[in-house]
Amino acid sequence: MASTTLSRRRFLAFSGVAAGAVALAACAPPTAPGADAGGMAAESVTVSTALTWEAAFQTTQQEFDANFMEENPDIVLEPVYNTWSDHNQVVPTWAAANTLPDIIYVHGSRAFPWAFEGITVSMQSHIDADPDFNIAGVWEEALRLYRFEGEQHGIPYDHGPIILGYNKDIFDAAGMDYPAEDWTIEDLVETSIALTNTEGDVPIWGWRGDMPNFGNGTNRNMLNTYGANLYNDEETAIELDTEEARVAVQIWVDLIHKHGAAPTPAESEAFEQNAWIAGQCGMSLFASWSTPTQYSFANYAWDVAPWPAGPAGQSCGSFGSGFSITKNSGNPSASWRFLGSYLSTEGMEFMWGSSGRGSPARAEAYQSWLDSEPASDSAHYFLHALENYAVTGRPYQTLAAPQLLDITGRYQTLLRSGEIDVDTAITSIVEEANVVFAEAAERMA
Amino acid sequence: MTASVAARPRKPGRTLQKREERDFWIAISPWFIGLLLFTGGPVIASLVFSFTDWTGLNLSGFIGLENYRVLLVEDLVFWETVYNTFYYTFGSVLLGTLGALFVALLLNQNLPGTYFLRLIYYLPSIASGVAISILWIWLFNPNVGLINFLLVKFLPIDSGPAWLSSQTWSKPALILKSTWGIGANMIIILAGLQGVPQSLYEAARIDGANVYDEFRHVTIPMLSPVLFFVIVISTINAFQILTDILVMTQGGPGTSTYMLVYYIYQNAFQYLKMGYASALAWILFTIILALTLLQLWGSRRWVYYEGET
Repeated sequence: MASTTLSRRRFLAFSGVAAGAVALAACAPPTAPGADAGGMAAESVTVSTALTWEAAFQTTQQEFDANFMEENPDIVLEPVYNTWSDHNQVVPTWAAANTLPDIIYVHGSRAFPWAFEGITVSMQSHIDADPDFNIAGVWEEALRLYRFEGEQHGIPYDHGPIILGYNKDIFDAAGMDYPAEDWTIEDLVETSIALTNTEGDVPIWGWRGDMPNFGNGTNRNMLNTYGANLYNDEETAIELDTEEARVAVQIWVDLIHKHGAAPTPAESEAFEQNAWIAGQCGMSLFASWSTPTQYSFANYAWDVAPWPAGPAGQSCGSFGSGFSITKNSGNPSASWRFLGSYLSTEGMEFMWGSSGRGSPARAEAYQSWLDSEPASDSAHYFLHALENYAVTGRPYQTLAAPQLLDITGRYQTLLRSGEIDVDTAITSIVEEANVVFAEAAERMA
Repeated sequence: MTASVAARPRKPGRTLQKREERDFWIAISPWFIGLLLFTGGPVIASLVFSFTDWTGLNLSGFIGLENYRVLLVEDLVFWETVYNTFYYTFGSVLLGTLGALFVALLLNQNLPGTYFLRLIYYLPSIASGVAISILWIWLFNPNVGLINFLLVKFLPIDSGPAWLSSQTWSKPALILKSTWGIGANMIIILAGLQGVPQSLYEAARIDGANVYDEFRHVTIPMLSPVLFFVIVISTINAFQILTDILVMTQGGPGTSTYMLVYYIYQNAFQYLKMGYASALAWILFTIILALTLLQLWGSRRWVYYEGET
């Protein structure tokens, strides 16, 4: 007869076997979403989407989805919503577990690493085979972000430039003219100093305190206009160690620490969002995607103007977001049908244009955004920038991008607080970034 | 079958013990299987990953000790995070333990309202970490924060430190913030204080001891096992600071508040360098283990266990 008692050794053995069985079960390959419906599969397929809209905008999505499903009764859409800040951590976790939805939101900064890691798949065959989808209508600068090894791994829905925003009330109170189309950066600096009055009960600064962020955006505005570059075009080396770069960076540092025309980081902490939104800064860098926030929170008259030219000409950064089909999609064809509709001119007009949510990545859909309630009177300057001088901000095609942004972000913070000088910052960035570049090159090789 | 079981001679006493033993193992098994699966498995897996260049998604192959070599020899940020973590741990454990001891001594008096005050001091320990961190961001605000308001009011200075915006003051700010949670340690020390026999104090007083002597020669020795426990646990917790960094500083300004767990998080989830992050995690484990062993060894010199000779 077998013993009815359970010894410690036998218990450990049973536990190990049970844990192993559960682990093996967890490691089993997932069932393809489209293959598990049995009889239903012939009638409809489910397309799951991972989006990042906040609750208020989800109603617009639901409306679009309902219309799409009515027109395409063989497709059932199942959206999942992550918060924007969590999404970039959630997606790799899904990918590791092979549980990615069919379609995911992809911020421009993640397009390359996620394509490289195989999270997103090429959509080129779908694009080529779909004559109704006008890929040429999407900004080339926006498409570039989502191109991997010559093929589109995503389609952008929103792409916007970073130009100049200004507080009309502050200009009016100071009796000064609004920024003009032919402004130079010198004009911006002089006006910022002239607008500044920090003696009163409510301090007013001419400039918000923006600096070259050495990341995906404002380098074009603040460095390239002075003939300086942060990265080479291949994004394999940093090119910040030049006299032009030192001159350009110093201008923005001086606005804070020499002229006192922009709040220090310590002063900025006094605001729930920032001094610009609070109505205490005359001017700020202003991206098209900031429009909904500005519209909701800024309690003053404001508008936008072209980004001023520097000695090396006019230039500004642009960036955006898009959608991709994932490696785990069980229904890539149905997913593409959804995306084809979602990212068509009509889709973009409905979702992001007329809602005022963001500047669409298609020129044809842009007017709907310009006509929307949140867009300011001179919002056409965004379109002007995209058509004339906006360039997608680097880095976006190196695995080192997140680490580079951290490195450069650290030194930008120190420059803003005045804890280091421009020379030290540039030397340190170059030293740290080159190591990261080399390591990324090794990984990519 | 039933008959054969019924015919089997029972062993009274021993059967009950065996049955209880079996029930114990059955009762504990859900937790134990969970431990094996969700803690043991990842721990072993992370050790293996630390010898690879796994991105979290793709694996090129085993790279031996390369991650450890890069960490220890080439990665300048790693050494800054080690320095920052030790700085924070030393400051927060020292301030936290002394603060908890001080409050516990005050609340151990038989005065009216002490029960209510114990509750008040303990309450912050159970509050949400993120909410408290946001609250402290406002307290540390250089211009409108309560801390600088009080400093300017009561000290001969024109303005207070920039706290979270300053490389110099960011770590002291985090240490100050850590005192928010002294309530948990205070309760443990308070329990220890109430376990000190009154007869020892009476004997000391008969021998002419004053209040300081009683504290130095009765309270501290009798409380030393509790203090030791508090210090060990607080050290382990301090080494794993993450929420405050994510919410309050994101490692900045510069790298002044880069801590080890934050750096692990950055490498694993932002840079997709899971192998490297695993190596970092094992170095953190080794540091904590070494420190705990050092504390255990050192405890022989100052921890007094009643009943030991």
